[in-house]
Amino acid sequence: MIALARFRLAGYARSHRALQPLIALLPLLAIMYATPVPAGEELGAMADSAGILLPVFAWAARGLLDTEPDEQRMISIVTNRRGELLSGIIAACVFALGLAVIGELALLARLSADPGIGALMVGVCLHLFSVIAGVALGALTSRPILPSPAVSNLVLILGYLAILLVSASGARWLTVPVMSWMKDGHHDVLMGHLPLLAVQSLLWPLLGLAGYAWLRRTRP
Amino acid sequence: MRVTNLFFRYGRRNPWVLSNAGFVLSPGDVTEVLGPNGTGKSTLLRLLAGLLRPVKGTIDERPDVVGYAPERFPAAQPFTVAAYLRHMAAIRGTDPRRIDEWSERLGMDQLMGHRLPDLSKGSAHKVGLAQALLCEPGLLILDEPFAGLDATTRAELPQIIGEVSARGGIVVVSDHQGELRALPDLRRHEVRNGTIQELPRNAGSDAGARVTARNGTAQNGTTQDITPRGITPQDDSARDDSARDDMGRGITVQGAAVLEDSSPAVTVLEVAVATSKAEELASRLRAEGHVVRIAREAAE
Repeated sequence: MIALARFRLAGYARSHRALQPLIALLPLLAIMYATPVPAGEELGAMADSAGILLPVFAWAARGLLDTEPDEQRMISIVTNRRGELLSGIIAACVFALGLAVIGELALLARLSADPGIGALMVGVCLHLFSVIAGVALGALTSRPILPSPAVSNLVLILGYLAILLVSASGARWLTVPVMSWMKDGHHDVLMGHLPLLAVQSLLWPLLGLAGYAWLRRTRP
Repeated sequence: MRVTNLFFRYGRRNPWVLSNAGFVLSPGDVTEVLGPNGTGKSTLLRLLAGLLRPVKGTIDERPDVVGYAPERFPAAQPFTVAAYLRHMAAIRGTDPRRIDEWSERLGMDQLMGHRLPDLSKGSAHKVGLAQALLCEPGLLILDEPFAGLDATTRAELPQIIGEVSARGGIVVVSDHQGELRALPDLRRHEVRNGTIQELPRNAGSDAGARVTARNGTAQNGTTQDITPRGITPQDDSARDDSARDDMGRGITVQGAAVLEDSSPAVTVLEVAVATSKAEELASRLRAEGHVVRIAREAAE
C-alpha cells in the first residue's frame, strides 16, 4: 500500500497537475498576508487560513486521484483492492499536508507577535481538520465518482460553499464547522470549544470518506 | 475458480451485459474468450479480475495473485519504462531483478530508458504485459494481448502463457486474432447475447499430437501453409477444386481432410477477400470457432 501511495505521489508530482493547487495557493497566501497579522489576532488568522485553504486541499486531492489513467487504476486495483483505495487517500493527505505546511509557514512568517505553543497547536489541529475535510471533498468529486469534469468542478465549489453556509447557520452541526472555527478564533473562545469542534470536524469528513469507499465498490 | 449464476449490467436502467453465466476454471486452464465486438468480453474479463462486482451471482476461489493487462496500456504516465516497472515490482513485492528477465523476454531491453508517452502502441502493450507477468500470477487476464505486437513477441507469448498454465495458473485471454489456437487443451468460451457458452475445444489442439503441413496454392502462384494441426490430407484428387465466386474473388476448396482420431471431418477453405474486409471476416469466422490464418497476396 505504501509503495502504491508512493507511485501515485510520484506520478502526480511529475505531472503538471501538481502545480495547479500550488498556483492557487501562492496568490491566496500573498493576498491573505499582504499586511502582517496584528498581535492578538494569531488564533483568528490560523482559523481563517484553515478555512480558506480547504478548497485548495480538495482540489489537490481530486487532482491527485484523477491523475492516474483509468486503466492504470484498474491495474492498481488488481494488485490490492483495499490498498488502492487507501493509498489514494494517503497520497492525497500527504500532498495536502505539504500545502498546509507552506500555508502555515507563510502565516508564521507574517505574525507580529509570538503566538505561543498553545495557539500554534490549535492552528496545526485546524489545518489537519481542513486537510481531512478537503481530501474527503476531493475524493467525492474524483473521476470514478463524477466522471464529468464540469460536474466535478461545480460540485467541488458548491460543496465548499454549502459547508460555509451551513456552518454559518443554526444547523452548523450538520457539516464541518468551518465558520465556527473562524468566529471562535476571532473571539478567543476557540481553545475552550475545540473538543466539540474536533468531533464535528472529523465526523463529517470520515463519513464522506466512508461514502467514497462505498461508492467505489461499484466504480473501479 | 467458480463463476455461478453471474448477472451483470452497468446500471439499473441498462440492459444485462451478462445473465445467468456460469463456468468453472481449474488450475492450469487456458481459456480464450470469444465473441463479436461489444458483447461483453472485456466486461467478463474485468469481472473475473475482480475489477467489477457481479450484480447477482458469485465468483469464488479467485487466486490471490492476479495479473491484468488491459486492452490499451495507459501510456499517458510521467515515467520511463524502467521507473514504471520498478514501481510495479515494488507494489507487487516482487524482486526488481525480474524486470530484466521480462524485458529481455518480451524484447523491450532497448525501451527501458524511454518515457511511456513516447512509446508506440506495440511497445506500450509490451510494458502492460510485463507488469502483469512480473508477479507470477495465479490468474492472468489478458485483454487482446496480441494487438500491435511484433512477430517475435507474438510467437513468444503463447509459450509464456503455456508456462503460467504449467505451474498451475489460470489464464483467460480475449483474442480476436486466434493466436492461441495452437495451444494444447485450449478452452474457448463464447460471449453472445448476454450468455457465456463453452465451445468445443479447438480441433487443432485436441487432435494435438501430430502436425501435418500442407501447401495450398494461392492465386498468384505463391504458396503458404494453411493447415491447422492434426489435419491429414486425403486423396489429392478429391481436393483443390478452384473456382471463382460471382464477385470474381478466388476460392479454393481443399477437399474433406479428416482428423486422424475419427473426429468430424474438416474442410480447408481458401478465400480471397479485399484487404480492408479481411480482419472483419476473419474475426467473424474465429468467433464461430473456425481456424483462420491470414496471408497477404499481391493483387492479380
